[in-house]
Amino acid sequence: MQSSVKQERQLIQQHERERNYWKKWSIGWNVFSVLTIALAYLENALVPTQETVDNRYYHWFLGAYIAYLIIVYVIGQVTHGGVRSYSGHFAQLNSSIGILLIIQDLITEKFALMALPFFVSFAQILQQIHEDAKLLWESTLSSLGLWAVSFVVGTLLGVFLGLFMGRYRQFNYWAFPYLKVIGIIPAAAWMPLTMVIFPTSYMAEVFLIAFSVWFPVAFMTIGGVQGISKDYFESAKTLGFSEFQIVRKIVIPGALPSIFIGVFTAMGLSFTMLVISEMIGAKVGLGWYINWAKGVGNYTQVYAAIAIMALLFSVIFAVINKVEARLLRWRDAGR
Amino acid sequence: MSLLEVKAVNRILTDNNGQRVPVLNNINFDVEPGEFVSLIGPSGCGKTTLLRLISGLDQPESGTVKVNDKLVTKPDVSRGYVFQHGSLFPWFSIRDNISAGLRVTQGRHFDQALVDQYIDLMGLKGFESAFPHQVSGGMAQRAALARSIIMHPELLLLDEPMGALDAFTRADIQNVIYRVWQQTKTTMILVTHDIDEAVYLSNRIIVMTPRPGQIKEIVTNPLPYPRQRTSDEFLKFRQQIQDKLNFGAKDQVAAS
Ligand SMILES: Nc1ncnc2c1ncn2[C@@H]1O[C@H](COP(=O)(O)OP(=O)(O)O)[C@@H](O)[C@H]1O
Ligand SMILES: [Mg+2]
Repeated sequence: MQSSVKQERQLIQQHERERNYWKKWSIGWNVFSVLTIALAYLENALVPTQETVDNRYYHWFLGAYIAYLIIVYVIGQVTHGGVRSYSGHFAQLNSSIGILLIIQDLITEKFALMALPFFVSFAQILQQIHEDAKLLWESTLSSLGLWAVSFVVGTLLGVFLGLFMGRYRQFNYWAFPYLKVIGIIPAAAWMPLTMVIFPTSYMAEVFLIAFSVWFPVAFMTIGGVQGISKDYFESAKTLGFSEFQIVRKIVIPGALPSIFIGVFTAMGLSFTMLVISEMIGAKVGLGWYINWAKGVGNYTQVYAAIAIMALLFSVIFAVINKVEARLLRWRDAGR
Repeated sequence: MSLLEVKAVNRILTDNNGQRVPVLNNINFDVEPGEFVSLIGPSGCGKTTLLRLISGLDQPESGTVKVNDKLVTKPDVSRGYVFQHGSLFPWFSIRDNISAGLRVTQGRHFDQALVDQYIDLMGLKGFESAFPHQVSGGMAQRAALARSIIMHPELLLLDEPMGALDAFTRADIQNVIYRVWQQTKTTMILVTHDIDEAVYLSNRIIVMTPRPGQIKEIVTNPLPYPRQRTSDEFLKFRQQIQDKLNFGAKDQVAAS
């Protein structure tokens, strides 16, 4: 019986994969996607340049991209696991990326069809990232640190208040009207005040980002708690659960799906507040870097920071997504 | 002294139109330790309402429910309750569901061997780490039974635990309940609208009338255990109960 459960779980996993990665494995598309990236390489290497740019880093990037594609396609060809479903599904998308890279390279670096210095080539941005690597790395770490602290503070506060308001009518009666009025205020509106109220700009930034997070989380947590079927509370009582155990083992897990909806909503707001508050108050971070680059008129640096933000925020999103999938694996896969 | 004493219990509920409707009317009965009693009656006659009063989940408008001569005022581990749809905690594995009560009452070092024993007894071996949505309805219901029985309640209240199952699975769970009752001598009260089930399992059958729910008759089951569902005596006694239920509400009873 042990093995039948395992088999069933593997089947469920495979089902889920087939639903998420539904494009069929096609060697034609795989080859085509590698060819488009290779073509982007050739185009960049062969067509004469109008920008002053060191194309080395772009070539490294394209080389790594091609190597990555070839590796996953070979693995996909010989195995039948996740790599095959994933890489096969995205082969067509990868082809489009190759074509887009060629187009952007032609209209910027090669023919300068768009106004410099506001539109620069991807190769130029990569070169900038390489030049500013140390500063950008420090800025990224600083932004990540600030974001993580603020997001955790805001989320914990939101979950805590939401649990109390969802579970205890008295608390809800007294707190919710006030919190609703406060929570609806955009965090950015507090900015001028936070600058003078908080002793350090770091604290002001934490406040602003956490402020953008707590309300959506609290709001969704309340709904999540109130949506838990009363059967679970009654079962818990007949099994000897104390109030604290009910909160820990029924209320929190039961509200978790909703809490995550709140967390994902809050995430976008928190990224916005992160960048804005760094632009205004900070002496470090990607937001500060953009503001500083704007000051000296180096728009390539602005693009560099934007590219890194895209990467950083995508990674954060993916990590929280994974955490959610892990914590909510008890949910019916069909839902 | 009886284990359970239900005296002059009335329950009045407010319906959707704000009308106060009597749901239970002057309910009186006792249950002795070790007994298996079935509550049978048409749908909506107040069986669940009565069971909830006994568990302490609700309070009667008047009358008393006493267990061991003590007034029941709130739910307690000593009175297990198996809900109609099991209501396993979906976020716990089957094993964690079964051990939930032990974990919260005995702490981290609860009796793991006991959990294994009940997993075996309920035929859930191999599914310990599955989540409730991954197992069949019959398995979920067996896990729900195990979750309550493992707490060794002095009184186990079963609210149509087989109601949502197909005929084969239902017979299977009836046998599980019978086995557990024989082994543990736990006092059980089973709500059902399935006459076969009541006759197969119980010492006594409490027949209820439709709204407002009243006790029509308490019938002692003369058949010795283990019972044969196809024996003449079984069928005869079954017919007797059927007749008592058929007072102008034939179709409601046949729902099972
Ligand atoms: N919370 C409630 N409020 C109002 N009426 C209720 C409530 N719960 C049950 N009832 C009514 O009480 C009657 C008995 O219900 P119930 O005990 O669930 O019956 P049974 O379990 O025998 O099918 C039904 O007519 C039902 O509509
Ligand atoms: Mg009922």
